[in-house]
Amino acid sequence: MRRAPALATLALAIAAALPFLIGDAYIYTLGLTICVFAVLASGLNLVYGFAGLLSLAQVAFFGIGGYGTAILVVDHGWSMGPAVLVAGVLATVAGLVVAYASLRLSRHAFAIVSLVFSLLCVIVARDWVSLTRGPMGMPGLPSPTIALPGLPPWQLSGPRDFYILLLVYAVAVLLLLYRVMRCRIGRTLLAIRQNEPLAQSMGQNPLAYRLFSIGLSAWVTGMAGGIFVFHLTIVDPSIFDFYYLETMLIMVVVGGPGSFWGVLGAAVFFSAIPDLLRFSADLRLVLYGLVLIAAVLAMPGGVAGLLRRRRLRRWREARR
Amino acid sequence: MSGGGPSNKDTLFAAQGLGKRYHGVDAVADVGFEIERGSIVALIGPNGSGKSTTVDCLTGFQRADAGRWWLGGRELTGLSASRHARAGLTRTFQNVRAFDEMSLLENLCLGAQQRDAGSWWQAFTGGPAERRAQAKMEARALELLEMVGLDHYAEAPAEILSYGQRKLVAIAASIMARPDLIMLDEPVAGVNPTMINRIEAMIRALNADGVTLLIVEHNMEFIMRIADRVLVLASGRLIADGTPDEVRRNPEVLDAYLGRSRAPHAV
Repeated sequence: MRRAPALATLALAIAAALPFLIGDAYIYTLGLTICVFAVLASGLNLVYGFAGLLSLAQVAFFGIGGYGTAILVVDHGWSMGPAVLVAGVLATVAGLVVAYASLRLSRHAFAIVSLVFSLLCVIVARDWVSLTRGPMGMPGLPSPTIALPGLPPWQLSGPRDFYILLLVYAVAVLLLLYRVMRCRIGRTLLAIRQNEPLAQSMGQNPLAYRLFSIGLSAWVTGMAGGIFVFHLTIVDPSIFDFYYLETMLIMVVVGGPGSFWGVLGAAVFFSAIPDLLRFSADLRLVLYGLVLIAAVLAMPGGVAGLLRRRRLRRWREARR
Repeated sequence: MSGGGPSNKDTLFAAQGLGKRYHGVDAVADVGFEIERGSIVALIGPNGSGKSTTVDCLTGFQRADAGRWWLGGRELTGLSASRHARAGLTRTFQNVRAFDEMSLLENLCLGAQQRDAGSWWQAFTGGPAERRAQAKMEARALELLEMVGLDHYAEAPAEILSYGQRKLVAIAASIMARPDLIMLDEPVAGVNPTMINRIEAMIRALNADGVTLLIVEHNMEFIMRIADRVLVLASGRLIADGTPDEVRRNPEVLDAYLGRSRAPHAV
């Protein structure tokens, strides 16, 4: 993992150079999928890998961001930036309400309530027709224009433009999450996950840290949903599809909960895999399931856990 | 302070009328005591006498059904565990606990964080104030690790340590925040004699440094050596409070431990 920052810089340089080199829309669609999943998986990593909360509401935050943005833009004529920001805040508020209500009971209660919340979101999206237009979804999201001071307006059209936008967004979010995970806040979250009573005996307030992690995770996940629907140009109940949740979970579990680089690596790998496995679309989820079972059996703690155990063995040998 | 509290200015901690019931049974009933500043007080009693429940209630880990308690004149009754710690009352646990995946240095620094580190924003930005606070915490952590002879493992994860070493780390972490009072729950249970001596030396050094301690322990030899005063619980009630010698001779204590009419010097 020591070489991870250098590798990531190299990958980022290549990713940033792509729009100048390649014109293939397929590559950009794959690239923007990787960017979205890098954000989703890292957001779940903060909540699950650091705060120790199995949040099954991540897909709900993603969908709330998507629907929130679409409603503000299509029905109320908002522009992209404010709509995405506000939809992100909406996802945060939803996350905080779910977390505050259930964490007062237990971590297990949180997992169950977060799952129920995700299922509830599907029902709302499908059945609250006056708000969401029901199963048909909300089509017709316009191609947005981004106007930054000092630069000519940039109208996003096509995968290449959305790839650039999502790459910038993903890099910003990953830098933010990296900083949070590596500073004292991240260490305290890890401590609370490892031993909550001990952290309390040291004066830490687990609820405050957990709410922070849920809030931040919901915000970045919701905004990713908000940007993503512009690429799709439509939002419908399938944005709450458990495919997204399963994929995020696999990325975190295989990458190693609590490891920034492990999860990021797994996010890139598993975003690319479905396309590499195009010959067996029906088998995709089965293969995912098999990979998850194999990962849990062979390397509990994921790839990062494997490396940690190696480090531990070295310490134990040195101790003898 | 109103309606009770410490009886004189040397009193650091006072508890009155503490009570806790489980399913209608009194685990702790009407327990009250005071702890003088700078002393080592032991809390002993047979299994199931309510020692750990008392500590859990007085540190906010369990909600007491009755009673009030104060630290340094400030009432802590009903506060959460983390607020007890922030008020200056920390503890260790019967089943030794550490943040296993973290280094010893990180384990100890977490103990000082609430007191020495700044805001979350400061942590996030990592500016000079945060770096200074971090350096200060690490220096103190290294000092304590040196004191317990584990400084060469400062960067090692806590899970490689032996049971006794982890107990030492737990005590060291509990004093990182320079608390006024530490409650140690069975600090030498299950620990080999060499390690008991090291833990004893550490407790004495801390006490010489002005730290006040309440120790819950089964090891009588250890308690009789180290404690200034001994409190005895039996069936959730406080049955004796005195010097180790007084308690050793107390017939009620002998009765609680051994049953009536047994050897008078066996405690």
